[in-house]
Parts: sequence; structure tokens; C-alpha cells
Amino acid sequence: MNSWALFGITKKLTEKFDYPPMKHVKKIGDRFKKSIHLYPIDVGNDGALNFEMTAMAAPQYNIHRFGIFFTDSPRHADILLILGRPTEAMIKPLKETINQLPEPFGIVALENNQETGIDIENLNLPNLLAHIKEEIDAKSIISLLLGIMEK
Amino acid sequence: MRLLGIIEKPNGKQLLVQDKERFFIKEDTEKNFSNYSFLKNRDKNIGNPMKKGEGVFNFRYGPVNSGVGEAGIFNICTYGERIISANIDPSYKKRGIEEMIKGSNVKKALRLSEDICSNFAFSHSTAFLRAIENAGKLHTDTTTKRIRIMALELERIYNHLFVMARLSKGASQNVLTSHLEGLFEEALRTNRRFSGSRFLKNLNGLSIDVSRLINMDETASRIKNIKDKFTELYRHSLKSWNFIDRIYNTATLSKDKALDIGITGPSLRATGADEDLRKYEKLYKNFTPRTEKNGDALSRMQVRAAEIIDSCEIIEEQIEKIKQEKQQDNKIDLSSISGDGIGACESPSGLVVYFIELSERIIKNVYISTPSLFGFKAFCDSLEGHIFTDFSFALDSFGINFADCSR
Amino acid sequence: MIYLILCLFVFGSISGFLNRKVSYLSAFFASILSFIAGFEAKFSGYIFVDKFRFLPNIYVGIGIDKLSGLFLMIASISWIAIALFSIDFGNHYRKRMAIFLNLSIMGMFLILAAYDAIIFLAGWEIMTIASYLLITEHEGSYKEAFQFLSFSEISTVSLIIAFLSLFISNGSFALLNIHSKSIAFLVFASLAFIVKMGIVPFHTWLKDAHSKAPSNASALLSAPITLMGVYGLAKIISITGYIHIWGIAAIIMGSLSAFWGAMEAAVAKGLKVLPAYSTVENNGMILATLGLSAVAYSVSANSTLYEFAFLTAIILSIAHTTSKTLLFLSIGQAKEQLNEESIDNVRGIHKSVGKIPALGIVISGLSFSAFPTLIGYVAEWMLLESIFQSYQFHSILDRIVSSSGGVLLSLAIGFASFSMVKLIGYSALGYNHDKVARKIPTFFMHTSEIFLIIMIFAMSFFASAIFLNLGYSKFVIGALGVPNRWLLASAKPVFGVISPAFFAIVMSGLFTVPFIIYLKNRVKTKKVISWNGGLALKEDEYFSASAFSFIIKFILRFVYMTKEVERENYAYVVTNDLFESFYALVIKLFKKAGYRISHFIMNGKIHIYILYILVTFIFIFIYFGALS
Repeated sequence: MNSWALFGITKKLTEKFDYPPMKHVKKIGDRFKKSIHLYPIDVGNDGALNFEMTAMAAPQYNIHRFGIFFTDSPRHADILLILGRPTEAMIKPLKETINQLPEPFGIVALENNQETGIDIENLNLPNLLAHIKEEIDAKSIISLLLGIMEK
Repeated sequence: MRLLGIIEKPNGKQLLVQDKERFFIKEDTEKNFSNYSFLKNRDKNIGNPMKKGEGVFNFRYGPVNSGVGEAGIFNICTYGERIISANIDPSYKKRGIEEMIKGSNVKKALRLSEDICSNFAFSHSTAFLRAIENAGKLHTDTTTKRIRIMALELERIYNHLFVMARLSKGASQNVLTSHLEGLFEEALRTNRRFSGSRFLKNLNGLSIDVSRLINMDETASRIKNIKDKFTELYRHSLKSWNFIDRIYNTATLSKDKALDIGITGPSLRATGADEDLRKYEKLYKNFTPRTEKNGDALSRMQVRAAEIIDSCEIIEEQIEKIKQEKQQDNKIDLSSISGDGIGACESPSGLVVYFIELSERIIKNVYISTPSLFGFKAFCDSLEGHIFTDFSFALDSFGINFADCSR
Repeated sequence: MIYLILCLFVFGSISGFLNRKVSYLSAFFASILSFIAGFEAKFSGYIFVDKFRFLPNIYVGIGIDKLSGLFLMIASISWIAIALFSIDFGNHYRKRMAIFLNLSIMGMFLILAAYDAIIFLAGWEIMTIASYLLITEHEGSYKEAFQFLSFSEISTVSLIIAFLSLFISNGSFALLNIHSKSIAFLVFASLAFIVKMGIVPFHTWLKDAHSKAPSNASALLSAPITLMGVYGLAKIISITGYIHIWGIAAIIMGSLSAFWGAMEAAVAKGLKVLPAYSTVENNGMILATLGLSAVAYSVSANSTLYEFAFLTAIILSIAHTTSKTLLFLSIGQAKEQLNEESIDNVRGIHKSVGKIPALGIVISGLSFSAFPTLIGYVAEWMLLESIFQSYQFHSILDRIVSSSGGVLLSLAIGFASFSMVKLIGYSALGYNHDKVARKIPTFFMHTSEIFLIIMIFAMSFFASAIFLNLGYSKFVIGALGVPNRWLLASAKPVFGVISPAFFAIVMSGLFTVPFIIYLKNRVKTKKVISWNGGLALKEDEYFSASAFSFIIKFILRFVYMTKEVERENYAYVVTNDLFESFYALVIKLFKKAGYRISHFIMNGKIHIYILYILVTFIFIFIYFGALS
């Protein structure tokens, strides 16, 4: 049995860089070429995207090497990740969260093939950089973000 | 006897009741179930009322928050640091899936049941299908049952890993958290290799064709890898006093209280009750539920950790069996099924129970009893008297989420 | 001039029957004159003595020397502000408040200008009784006023004893230019003054009376009246000289008091309870530095520490008097306009009441938490420097007392900052409550507040000038690039230095340049509501002031006797001042004993009464028979 400290460093879990930047997304701008800060907001998805957020923090992806970070407040965020299609009740908090974002900011909406809720397109959100309706997993989200960052 | 839900029908209310492995409907005459009143309000407010007093205020958390990450409000009543009462408002996440299921056909309803809560997607679909099977008195072949068992255990593994990762993250055990998150990602990838979906969606059916599952051997080896790695991690994690101190005696739930609330799953087993629906199923060989005595966050974590290892063994065992057996040809005719049916399934966090009224392939009425509803009530009760920093340990240790609770 | 001032006060008192504005104005002018008189006495060598024979060998009269001149100046600042403030504030109280205010200030003036003990006592009683009546002006404050009166009478009685023993030792009641070594005088006079200063364990009256009294009376009680206690102690030192054991006792009591006051202030909920406890803390600091001064003198008269410590006490007094007056006046205005008692309910004074009272609370609060460029900063720096220099002490007792006193005082400073942050954050600043303030004339109130704010800044800026003029030129130097006469030093040879004026200049430079750059390149900023999970805060969702201090209440629960009460529908936290419980116990025992005794004596049985009369008669008969 390895000792605790050694156990942590004897294996390299991070996988090789093979995340092609996703095409057909709007770029956020040169300012964020090196790093972006994300604030995910759940507006009523079925939980899968929340789990993908946890998965994104996994060492296999090691998102910090791409300069992608999570923040704990929308006031520190560059990109708002909208998880799912909003329920009626979440529209007001969602609008307020967008109001709290510092400028310039970008919004990425992930619908993950969801049937319930309101279509994001009906909400006329500002600076919508990408709107993915299909199912999406952690790896693709990273590709998407890299596309936005123009890496 | 446990009250699982109150079913609204045109001719009054009926109670959905469990007695060991039996599930049945009772007329709404007996109101002496202690959890009746909170089940009645399950879509509005779960928990205990606010208190008043000098300096007492509502330390609201949500609906947008980064700590929990889900849309829902925690109303925490406090006079500073100490939590004197708590309740949650699940209405922000309510998507009305129950209403959408009413009136749809079986196929669409199956899809919707998976959409309630992705991390319990397979449990929900299994419970739903079992209800259909009971309603239509359909026969299910053994291989399908075995695949369901496998998928359920896969679901259990990644959910339990997730819970442990959250707990260790709350205690700033960064090395352990990274490893557990790595394992969690491994488990999700295993799910995809096994079923094509990271959350085991679109796999379940009244009959699952075994030839769809092409990566059976790979699944077995991946599961073995997860088991070995987790066993070692868990052994290390128990040695970290910083970690254990944070969850020991946190959010303690007594056995009587747990039974009163009606909570099931690892949270109940951590209080000492050995209730598990799986022990009544024949296809599980020599299944004994894992229990702990204290009923605190540590006990809940211990139960989950033991279950991860058990689940890995069950999967390996079932893969062997599936390989040996040949799938029976099972044609199912859905054309004229109607009637009532109840289906239940032991999800990673407790019982998922579906009550369904079918008529001519269309679902007329449905009631879904989810584990998170009871979990939130238990969470609110056990949080009282604790301080803010215990919040994440209390919440994460129950393995509950709003998606499951507010359907 | 002294008589002119007295006449003005008397005129003010009498005109109070007719027109309160005239009365307050009269007090205002008298206060200005007394400031001038104090200035003359302190700096122009104006020694005024006018005595006449009262009884054989007993002279009474008026007399001012350098010491009383200094305190007259300090007190006058507070009087001026209070009198000015009352012109507007008094409108909402009865006319007789003006009379009591005039009388109370006159009483203090008499104390400071007393040539002899009799005038001193007369002033003391005038001040006490007028203050008592002032407190009762607020409705429902009889209990608190009575408590104030009873503690005051303790100090009066011990003062009488002290003066009698002074008479026995010196054969005269004179207080100017005398020396005495009477122990009884020292003990009883010290007791009288520390009761007035609200030193622990005699502080409970202070908290209750301050919070119940009208705000101008609170300011009067807290700043100048407790200053009389400091003056008394300084007077004792001038009469008896520095006594080592007195110093030890003073350090112990002072530091305990400072710590206790600061600690209780940290958890106080009432808008005026917090400043009241802060008064206990500040007076404790003053007492401790006076004690330090006495100990230092006894150890070595060559060291500059005793002088520095004494100067510290004076600067602390100045800082406390000005800042506390400002704090009470600003809070008083807000309290009057909003009609609220607790800190939680006045949130956002800067919006609801006005910028000036809010600024008053902020500045005075910052001064108490030793914010640089304010007078409190100079005072607390001096306090810490004095403590640090206690390394000069030789004996173990001195070292233990001074260092543990130092620990308590430093803790007190920390707690004081905590409580002031709470007060500022939850009253002056903070989210707006949407409460509508009552409209009242505020011109004189604001003038008085601005006057005090300027004083707090100016005295810090000109601290070196104050040092020089008080005759402590050895503590003013120039070094480290700071020009001569701009740097304050805490000892000779130099131990520690600051220059508040230089600091202010540098800081304002550092602030102004970026501010100009900011103004030039200002971009449009986005204004949003505070982030609270995507929804605006509701009224019951604001973090309350008592929740802010709960963590201290819990950690120090054995000291505060914290009880968390939880019932079916409500919950709250109670803390208790240990000494209050002690007094409550004493009162309970006293009541019980009184009841028992009265029950025994006045039991309604005629034969017992007759027996009592008979026994008394026989006793008196025998006693006087034996005398003759």
C-alpha cells in the first residue's frame, strides 16, 4: 500500500490534449484568449448537466490547463453556462443573473435534448454565443468553450 | 408500514403504502401516518416552518447558487451561525413531468420518466416499467431483469462516488476529491461503453436485447478497476481525521425519526434498519443490506462506500450469468393493456415508486414517489441545531437533488 | 469672567421657563466662554482665585488652575456641541429640559472651577440631580434614572468621606495647591470618581441610563460627566502624588473595565447600549494609563514613561469626549427621527436620515476603532506605546500587572473595532430600510455634528501642537524625513513615533492623485442589486446585527452566560452582563431582607409596637443619662 501522499502523485490521470475547438460558435473576443471564468446556472435541467459540471472538474480533463475556471458568483464570471431549458419560475432569477454579469460577457445555452421547459430562443438573451440543443457531455463542453476562446 | 404518497383521484385521495416488499393502495381514511402532512405539501414547501424572534432572519440560499448548483431555495432560519429551522422551496425546479406523463403513451412516458432526474434515470425507468408490467401482468425475461440489475448497480456506483466526492470536496480534501472525481468520470465512461449513454438513458425497455450490449467484457474489466481503486481510496480516506471529524455526528438521524419521515435507501440503512428492496429479489444472490448504527453523515458515507464495492461484485456476477444464459424470446403486446399498477425500484438514494393507471396504452394517472422528497425532509430535520458550515455535509450525505424531488 | 459664565448659566436656567431656544443659546455662549476661560487658565497663566470666609477657618470660593483649565477646555467642546444640538433637539421635549441641561453644565463648571471641597461637592450634586432629572425627561425611564441616582449617591457619600479626611489631614477644604498623604482621602475619592467613570463593576448604571435618556442627555452623561471622574482622578494625583499601589490597582481595574466594556459592546443590540459600553471601555483605558503613569513614576522618575502615560490619559480623554459626544448626538438624531431603539431597525441612516448624521457615526466609530488621521488613532497608539514601555519595570508584580493589563487593553481595542464595525455597518451604512424619517429642524444639529467632525480631524492633525502646548515638547521631534515638530515620539530616547499630520498629508496625496485619474478615466459602471441567488432580498432576509455578533456570543458563552432559547414558534439568544446579574441578586436579597425586617417590626401587633417604643425610650434615657 502506498502512503497517502505518494498515492496522489504516482498516477497521471490527465489525458492528452485532443479536444478540437468546436466550430460554428461565436467567439467571445481577444480579451479572453487565455482564460475564461464560468458560472453555471441550472434553470431546470434534469440533472445530467449538473453532473457533467462535476465531471468537468475531474483530473482526466484538467480544464485549468486550458485556462477554464469555475467561479462562485456571476459577478466574477465571463461566461454564463445556462444548463437546461428554463422553467417558468426560473426566468426571473435567470434574467437577474445575466444582469449581474460584468461586461463583456457571453452566454452559452445547453439544452441537452430536453423536452420540458421554455425554449431559450424565446427569451432574447443578450450575447448568446452558442445554443446547443443536442445531448452534450463534459468533453464536448470543453471543446465548445475552446471554440469560444478561439484556441 | 410506510406512507409513500397521496394520490389525487377524481373520487378523492388514496394513499400509496409500502409494507416490506408489498406496495398497495389504501383509501384515504387512515391519517395517522406521521409524514402525511409534509407529503401533502410536497410541491410547495418541504421542511419545518420559520421561527420568529429578535435577530432571527431567513438566510435564504438559492434559487441560483454555486454551492448546490441546482435551482431551488433553501430557507435557513437563524440568529447567526446556528440553524434553528430549515425548509426548502422546490417549486423553481418543477417541470411538471408528472402532468406531462398523464395522457401520453408508454413509449413517451418512458422517455419522460428518464428525464425526471438523470442520475436516477435508470431507477425511474425501471420503476415505471415494473408498474406497466404489473398493470398489464406482463412477463419479463430473466436476461432483461439481469441487465436491469446491472444498470441499476452501475447507477448506484457513480451516484455513490459522486456523493463521496462532494463530501470530501466540502471538507477540502483535494487529493481525495480529485481521485473520486476521476473515478466518477470513469464510471460515467463505463456507462457510455455499456449502454451508449453516460447516464444510462435510452437503454431500458420492457425487453432489452442483449445483443445491443457489445462491450460486456470491457465493462467487467472497467468495473474491476473501479472497485480496486476505490477500495484503496476509501481505506486512505478513513485515515484523514480532518475529513472524518467534519462528517462524524453531523446531521444525525435517529432510526425512529427516519422511519417516521419515511426515508429509505442508504440514509435509512445508516440508522440501523436493514431495509432494502433488493433483498426480496431472487436474481440477487445472497444479498444482505449494508447497515451502520449512528445515522450521521459518516454512517451514510460508510454505507455508500460498502455498497459501491458490493455493486461492483454484483455486476461482475451478473455479467457471468448473462453470458451463460441465453435470452428467451419475449414478444410483448402492448396493444390492449389497461389497469392499475405499482412498480418500485431501489435507486441509489432510496425507493422510487410509480403508481400508474393505464387505459388502452394511454397513461391516465401517475404518481411518482421519489427518494429525494423524503431526503429533503430528513435533511431539514437533521440540520437543526447545526451551523452553516455543516450545511454541505448534511445535504451531500443524503445524496438528494431537486431534479428528483420536484419532478 | 467666571462669574459671567455662572450668571449666563443661571440666566439660561431661568429663561428655560420662558423660551427654550434662549436657554440653550445661553448655555452655548456660556460654554464658549468657559472654553476661553479654560484656555486662558491653561496657556496664559491666568490663575483665578476668589475666596471668602464661610465658617471660621473655612474658605469657599472659585479657583482655576492649569489642570482645571485643561479639563475645562475639553469639557467645553462637548458642552458647546450639546448645547447647540439641543436647540433643535429640545423641541420635542418639555421646556424644563433646558433648565436641567443648563444646571447640569453649571454643576460641571462648578466642579472644575471649585477652589474648595464644598463648592466641588455643591457642583457635584447639582450635576447629579440635574442629570437625574434630565434622564427622567424620557418617558418610562424612572427605574434607570433611579439607578443612576443611587450610584451617584455612592460616589457623593464617598466623596464627602474623602473630603472630611482631607480636612482632618490638612485642616482645610481647599483643593488648589495642596498636598496630602491621607490614605482615606485617596481610597474614597478614587472610589467616588471611578463610580462616576463607570468602571467595572460600577458600570451597570451607565448602560441603562445612557440607553434610556434623551440623546443629548446621553451625550452629556457619557462624555463630560465621566470626564469629571477623570478630572477628579487627575486632581487626586496632583494632591497625593504618584502612589505605586494605587497605580497597580488602577491598571487592574482599568484594563478589566476596558476589556469588559469592549466585550459587552461587541454583543450589544441597543442603538445606545453599544456606545454606553464603549464609554466603559474608554474610561477603563484612561484609568489604566493613569495607573501606568503612577507605577512608572514610582519605578523611576527619570523615565519619560510616567509623563507620557499621563499625557496618554489626557489625549484619551480628549478623544473620548469629542468622539463620544459626536456618536451620541448623531445616533440621537437618527433615533429621534426614526423612532427606533435597536441597531437592526435603523439600517441605512445615510439614506433615511441624512448624510451628516451618518458621517458623524462613521467618523466617531472610526475614531474609536483607531482609524488613522483621527484623534482616536493618536490616543490608542499612545496607549499601546505606553504599554510596550512597561518593559522598564523591574519587579515581578509590576511586570505581571502591566503585561496582563496590556493584553486586556489590546483585546479591548480589538473588540472595540468589532463593535464599531457593527455599529457603522448596521446603522449609518447598510441597506436602506425604506423607513421614512420624521421631518424636524436639523440646522443646529448638523452644525454641531460638523463642528465635532472637524474637531476630530483637526485635533489629530494638530496633535503635535497639542503636545507642545500642553508642555510636553520632549515628545515632539522630527526624524525619518518628517520635519521637526511634526513627529510624535513616545519616549526620550525615542521608542516609537507617528506623525498623524504627515500621514494625513501623504494619504490624501495618495488618495487625491488616483482619484483625479479615476475621475478623468471614469467608465460607466453598472449598478445592480446585491447578489442574493438571483432574487432581491426580502425584509426578513437581511443579515441581522445580532447574528453578526453571534459567533462571539457563542465562543465566549461562559463569560456572556449565553442562552439560546428555542420555543415552538420563536427563538432568540440572551446574553447577560455578569455584574448585572450580581446586582440583580443583591437587589433581590436586599428586598427579601427588607421584607423580612419590616415583617418582623411592622407586624400589626400593638403590643410589639408598645414594646418597641418602650425599649427605645429606655435606651435613649440610659444613653443620655450616661452622657450627662
